[in-house]
Amino acid sequence: MPKVDVTVEVCGMAGDGTIAAGGLINEALSEGGFSVLGFDSYPAEIRGFGRCVTHSRIGNNEVVALGDVTHVLISLDDEQSRSRVPFLSENSIVIFDSSPAAYVREDSSIAGEVEPGTLLFGMPLSDLATAASGTERGRNLTALGGFTAICGIPSELFHRVIKRRFKAKGEKVLLANLNSFDAGVTYATQNFSERIRNIFIPPGQPHGHENVLLSGNQAIGKAALDAGLKLYFGYPITPATPIMEYLASRLPDRGGRVVQMEDEISSIGAVLGSFYAGVRAMTATSGPGFALMTELITHGVMAEIPAVIIDAQRGGPSTGLPTKTEQSDLHAAVFGGPGDSARIVIAPTNVSECYRYTVKSFQLAEKYQTPVIILTDFYLDNRVENFPIPQAVESEIENSNIFPRSSVKGSYNRYSVTESGISPRALPGMEGFIFAATGLEHTEKGTPDYSPEVHTMMSAKRHRKILGALADMPAPEEFSSGNIMDVGVIGWGSTFGSVLEAVNMARGRGMNVGALKITSIFPFHLDVIREFMNRCSHCLVPELNFEGQLANLIGHLHTKDVVRLNRVTGMPFPPSAILAKIEDLIQTGDE
Amino acid sequence: MKIPGRDLAEHVKQIKESGAFDVRSNALPTWCPGCGYFGIHQGLNECIRELGLPHHKVVVVSGIGCAGRYPFFTNTYGLHTVHGRTLPVATGVKMANPELAVFAVGGDGDGLAIGGGHLPHVARRNVNINYLLFDNSIYGLTKGQPSPSSPQGTKSKVSPYGTVDKPLNATLLALTYGASFVARLFAGDPSGITNALIEGIRHPGFSLFHIYTSCVTFDKVFKTWANLKRWVHPLPQDYDPTDLRQAFDRVLDDDFSIGIIYRRTEKA
Amino acid sequence: MAQEHCVIIGNGPAANQAALTLRENSPDMLITLVGQEPFPHYRPHLLPDYISGKLSENDLYVSPTEFYKRSGIKVRLGQQVVNIDFCSRELALSHKEIISFDGLIIACGGRQRIPERMQVFEDLMLTLKTPADAAVWIDRLTQVDSVLIVGGDLTSLSLTKALLSLKKRVFFMLNEDSFWPVPLGTEVAQQVRLRLMEKGVEVLESGRIRRVARISDVRLEVETDWETFKVGILGVFYGMVPDVKFLARSGLDIDRGILVDEHLRTRFDLVYAAGDCAQVYHPGIKDYWVSIGYENAISLGKVAALNLLGGMYAVETAPSSIFTVDGIVVNTSWWLEF
Repeated sequence: MPKVDVTVEVCGMAGDGTIAAGGLINEALSEGGFSVLGFDSYPAEIRGFGRCVTHSRIGNNEVVALGDVTHVLISLDDEQSRSRVPFLSENSIVIFDSSPAAYVREDSSIAGEVEPGTLLFGMPLSDLATAASGTERGRNLTALGGFTAICGIPSELFHRVIKRRFKAKGEKVLLANLNSFDAGVTYATQNFSERIRNIFIPPGQPHGHENVLLSGNQAIGKAALDAGLKLYFGYPITPATPIMEYLASRLPDRGGRVVQMEDEISSIGAVLGSFYAGVRAMTATSGPGFALMTELITHGVMAEIPAVIIDAQRGGPSTGLPTKTEQSDLHAAVFGGPGDSARIVIAPTNVSECYRYTVKSFQLAEKYQTPVIILTDFYLDNRVENFPIPQAVESEIENSNIFPRSSVKGSYNRYSVTESGISPRALPGMEGFIFAATGLEHTEKGTPDYSPEVHTMMSAKRHRKILGALADMPAPEEFSSGNIMDVGVIGWGSTFGSVLEAVNMARGRGMNVGALKITSIFPFHLDVIREFMNRCSHCLVPELNFEGQLANLIGHLHTKDVVRLNRVTGMPFPPSAILAKIEDLIQTGDE
Repeated sequence: MKIPGRDLAEHVKQIKESGAFDVRSNALPTWCPGCGYFGIHQGLNECIRELGLPHHKVVVVSGIGCAGRYPFFTNTYGLHTVHGRTLPVATGVKMANPELAVFAVGGDGDGLAIGGGHLPHVARRNVNINYLLFDNSIYGLTKGQPSPSSPQGTKSKVSPYGTVDKPLNATLLALTYGASFVARLFAGDPSGITNALIEGIRHPGFSLFHIYTSCVTFDKVFKTWANLKRWVHPLPQDYDPTDLRQAFDRVLDDDFSIGIIYRRTEKA
Repeated sequence: MAQEHCVIIGNGPAANQAALTLRENSPDMLITLVGQEPFPHYRPHLLPDYISGKLSENDLYVSPTEFYKRSGIKVRLGQQVVNIDFCSRELALSHKEIISFDGLIIACGGRQRIPERMQVFEDLMLTLKTPADAAVWIDRLTQVDSVLIVGGDLTSLSLTKALLSLKKRVFFMLNEDSFWPVPLGTEVAQQVRLRLMEKGVEVLESGRIRRVARISDVRLEVETDWETFKVGILGVFYGMVPDVKFLARSGLDIDRGILVDEHLRTRFDLVYAAGDCAQVYHPGIKDYWVSIGYENAISLGKVAALNLLGGMYAVETAPSSIFTVDGIVVNTSWWLEF
C-alpha cells in the first residue's frame, strides 16, 4: 500500500474560520481511517487580529511528529498565508481566493509568492459561498470543498463531520454550511478536473476499533473522570484552562464539582485537603502557577498527603511565553521547593499517554501518599491525535490507599516506619485512628520532633517510599535493534515524537541509531537508562529548554558527557534538527 | 455570659486534672501559661462534647503560628498545614467529605496577612466550615512582630519607632466579604465561645469566630488581659444580628463588643 | 531608490529569452514572468516527439526551478493577465492581484486558430499546443489507430511524422490557408502533398469539413465535401493567432497581433512585444509581419529585452529566406527549422 504522509495547513486571519476548517480536516480524515496529528497556532490577542494557522499531518502509519514541509496550503487570507510559503514542499498545492473583495497589491497576495513548482488553485471562495448560502461566512467550508475535490477525498467524510459539528446550531446553519462546502466541491471538480491529485489514498482496511480525536488536555480530563475524580480545584492559566473547562461541564453528572479557586495556592491547598479526606481531587496549572504551589507540594511530601497536579509547561521563566511550548519545568517539578522533597513526576509523550498516565497518577498518589506531578506542554496539551477510545480498566482506577489494620486502633502511628516506607494511612471518619498530619518533622506518631535521629530516620523513610514507586511506574521504552549503537537519542515529553521520527529516518538510511523514551522523570530507572547509554557511542538528549534539564538529571549515568541539543524556539522540536545532529555525530565522531 | 475573674492558667490546670474533657490529646500544649489559647481550647472542646460530635469525624485544620499547634492538642483528626492556607485546605476537606465537622484555626497573621487573600473567597463560597481566628494582634511564635491588627505606633524589634500602617479589623472584613455568620468573642470567656460555636456549627454555611485574646509573653501594652477585660463587653440586649447595617455600624466603631455580630441563614 | 520592475507576460521561448537577456544585462532589476499555462517553460516544437515516445515529459521542460531562483527571476505560473493600465503602469491578474511595472514585455504567444466554420466541432477535435494537450493525444492514441489531420501548419507536419512512427494511419487534408499568415502557394502546396504521400500519408482532396459526429468512445464520423469516413482522432492545425484579446481595450494598437516597430516598441514607453503575439513592422515591405517559430521567438525576445534596457536593435529582416520545409523550399525568413 502506498505511503501517505501529507501535511495540510489552513491559514487565515482571526475570524476567517481557520481553526474550524482545520478541525474539520482532522475529523474527516480521522473518519477516513488515517492517522492524524493536528496542532494549531492562535494569535495571543483575544479579538480581531492575528494569524491563525492549523497544521494537520495525515498518514496511514502512526504520525508522531509535525510535518517539516507543507504539502497543501489553504489560504483564507493571503497576507497571512504568505508567511507559510517558505514551508511549502516542492510541487505543493495552494488553494486561495481568486476573487477577493478588493484588489490586492502584489505584496499582499500569495500567487506571486510561491515557487513555480507549486500548483495554484484559485477559487472565488466568497462568491461561491455567497451564491450557495447567502453569506460569505462559509467560505472556509468552500475552500474545504475545493480541497476535497482536488485531493481526491470522498465528500461524504466531510459531510459527516460537518453535520456532526453544526447540528447543534440548527438546521439553517447546517444547510448553509453544507451548501458552501458543496459549492467548493462542484467548482473544483468542474474547473480543475485535469489537475486532480489523489494524494490521499484510502487505507486498505477500516479501523477495527472506534477512533477518537482528542487533544492532550481533553485526554487528561477524560482520564481524570474515568479515574473517579470528584473535585477539581483550579485557577485559569494558559495552557491548562481547557482541562478545567472540560471537567466543569462533566463532573456534576458524576456527582463532582469544579471549583474555581482564588489562586493556585488555594487550588493545591484544597486538593491536599480533599485527598487528606480520602477523595480524589486534581489541579492543573502552568509554570507560574506551579511555582506558587511549591510550598504546599513540599508540605504534601512531608505530611505524606496525596495530590495530583498537572503542570502544562509553557515558555518561561516567569510569565514567559504563555502561548509557546517549552519543557523547562522539569527542575521545578522534580526539585522545586525547600528541603529534600522527592516526589513523583511523570511526563507523557503523546495524547494516548496523557490519558494513561493521568489515570495512573491517582493510584500512585494514593498508594505512595505523595504529590504526583504530570508534566505536559503547550504543544502536547493542544494538539489532537486520533487513537482507539481509551477506557481505563477497574484495576487501574480502584482505590489504592493502604489503610491501617484494625489491630492498631487506639495506638495508631500515622507515620510508622516500614520497609517500603509506606505508612498505612487512616482517613478522617475512621474510628480509632485519630492523628494529626503536619508539615513539621515528626515522630512515627506524628508529634513534632526535630531531633537528629528522627529527622534522619524520617528522611530515609520518605525517600525509600518514593524510590519504591519505581516498581509501579512506566519503564523506559527502547526503539532500536537492541545492540550497540553509534548514537542513542533520549527524549521526553512531546519531544519524543520528534526523536522517534528522526531515529526512524536515520535507521531507514542505514544509520546505527536508537531511541529511548523516558516517561518516569522521578524516580527514574537508573539501571535501564545507564544500560542503554553504555551501548551508545554518543548519547544525544534533545530538549525544548535552554539548560538541558533532563540531561542534568540523568547525564551522570553515562561514562562521558551526554550531547545536549537545546532549543527554546517556542515551537515543537523539528525532527530534521535531531536528524542533522545524529548525522553530524556519526560523521565527525565527536560533538 | 460569664467572664471569669480568676487566672486563666489556673482554671485550665483544674480542668485538665478533672479529666472532664476527654477531647484533649495527651500532648501538653506548648502555649505559654496565661495564653488566651487555653481559653479558646476549652471553649471548643466543650462545644464538641456538648454537641456529641464523634471525635473521629472532627477535623481541625491549622496554619502556622502558636495557633497552628492546635491539632496536636485535640483528640480529633488534624491537619497542620502551611502558613496562611488553612482556609483553602479546610475547604478541600469539607467538600470531599461533608459528613466531617471541619474547624479551621489560625492567628491574625495567618488569617489577615499571608492568608488574607483566601478569606473573601471562602466567605463568598459559604463553605460550611468554622473558622476560629485567634486575634492577639501580634506574631507570637516568631517572637513579637506586629501583626495586621496591631494598632498604629506599635513598637517592636522590627518597628522600633512604631508601626505606621493602620490595623485591619477582622470582624469588619468578615462582614465586608459577605460571611454569613460572624461572631466576636473573648478568650477569657470560654463558655461564651462554646455557645457561639454551637450556634455557628449548626449554621449551614461559613462561620467566622473572631476571638480577642492576649499574648502574655510579647504584648505588654495593647491586648493585655487587663485591657481586654476592661474593653470587652457584651452586645446590647436589643441587638439584632440579622441586621447587616447595624452590624457594620457597630463594628466600624470597634467597640470590643462580643457576641454574635451577624448571621444570615441561606443555602450553603 | 526602488528597484525597477520589469514584467514579462508569457512563459514561452520569447518571454524566457527576454528574461534571460534582461538578467544578463541588469543584475539588479526585478523580473517577473507571468505565464497563463500552469506548466514550466517547455519547448512546444518538441511536443510531437513527446507524443511519439522519443522524449519523456521532463525533456520538454527547459529550465529547472532552481535556475529562476538563482537568477532572481520570479515566475508566476497559471496566472492570467486580464487588464493593463498603461497610465498608472499597473496590470491586473484574474485573481484580482495588481502588479506595478516599470517596464513591460508582452510575449504572450499565440493560440490555436480555429476557423469559424470549425468552431462548432471544437469539442470533438484535438489541437496541440501544451503538454496537457500532448498528454491527451498520448492517451487517445493508445485506443485508436487512425488520425485525420486538417489544416497543415508546421506543427501538423511534425506531428504527422510522429504519428507515422507510431504506425498510425494518417489522413491529411491540406488547406490553402493553413500556413497562415503566409499563403501557401499552389506550387508549394503541391510539393507538400507529394512529400506527405511519399511518407505514407493518405492525402485527401482539399475541401471543407461539413459534419463531425462521435459514434463511439474511440470513433468519429467525418463528412467532407467529397466523402464520409470513420477515424479515431480529428486533429486541427490552422496555425496560431496572437493571443491578445485581453489587450483589446488597453490602448495598444492591435491588428491580428500587437503592432510594433522594427525595434519591437509599442506606442507606450518601455512597453515592448515579442514572439508570436507581435506584428512587426518590416521597413523593407512597409508592412507588418507576424513572426512565428521557435528561433524567431528567441531572437525577438532578446531584441525586446535589449531595447527595453536602452538599446536600439532592430529585428533581423535580412532573410535567411531560403527555408526548407522537408525538402520543399519556401521563400520566407520567418519559419521554424523543420
